[in-house]
Amino acid sequence: MPGVVYGHGIDPLPVAVNGRALRAALSTDAGLNALLDLQVDGTSHLTLARELQRDPIRSLVTHVDFQIVRRDEVISADVPIALVGEPVQIHQGDGVVDQQMFTVAVHATPDRIPNAVEVDISELGIGQTIRVSDLPRSEGASFDADPEEAVVVGQPPQTEALPEDETGAAAEGGGSGAEPGGAG
Amino acid sequence: MPRKVKHRKQQRGRLSGVAKGGSAVTFGDYGIQALEPAWVTARQIEAARIAMTRHVKRGGKVWIRVFPDKPVTQKPAETRMGSGKGNPEHWVAVVKPGRILFELAGVDDELARAAMERAIQKLPMKARFVVRRDQEVEL
Repeated sequence: MPGVVYGHGIDPLPVAVNGRALRAALSTDAGLNALLDLQVDGTSHLTLARELQRDPIRSLVTHVDFQIVRRDEVISADVPIALVGEPVQIHQGDGVVDQQMFTVAVHATPDRIPNAVEVDISELGIGQTIRVSDLPRSEGASFDADPEEAVVVGQPPQTEALPEDETGAAAEGGGSGAEPGGAG
Repeated sequence: MPRKVKHRKQQRGRLSGVAKGGSAVTFGDYGIQALEPAWVTARQIEAARIAMTRHVKRGGKVWIRVFPDKPVTQKPAETRMGSGKGNPEHWVAVVKPGRILFELAGVDDELARAAMERAIQKLPMKARFVVRRDQEVEL
């Protein structure tokens, strides 16, 4: 699989990596933030897979960016947010758990980047919000996101769809009538 | 359809290539992915949405990831050729293979699949049900 290695002042270096070995390395608990020891022309580089380019239809990985990192430097990595617990209040009210943020940028040294940020939603009710400031912080790591940004929202039940005849009328209206407001 | 447009009539363009963006499930947990290029009309989008939300009944949240912003013109029946381009008749979204059309969250896998299969029946091209897999590496 084609890729490129960059970072720490070296010229970008195009490489080809073994696809199966890469998949195995990125399928551990650390996920896409696993530290990879890349051997290029006899030189060892400690890297993180940064950007995976995917085929738009089959979602197969077609190209990988590797960024060289040091064990003692603080880096930023996108860590997945995992929801844990059963939102009993939301289920009872026929609401929906609306996860608005699926990853959060974490600043930490490579060995302190968590595998996932777990959010307990068992106490979440309809109309309540869990924000970035409510996320559990691991030692030596900080979040690079607006503390007020919503992570999970307990949404009320979706409104009922229009009855059959009204829907038909709405569709009729939507299909015709191209009346532009201004023509340049 | 858009509220206001700069030009009332557009040229048709080409439908070659694959989706340049919008090919990953981003907002919800499940999605409908186009496998063929097509013009999807506003009515087809609405019909698919209604089919999906009615099957889900309660709960669930739907996102529509395409918008019909391209006007399609048509000449009246039994009209001689010439006299300029026809009148705008309906609006379409230009969809290329790989594009995610709808997303759904807040329901279980089985119900989401059944609802989206019903929605796919309302669409003019081949499409499939997909699940969010942004943390997986497939070769």
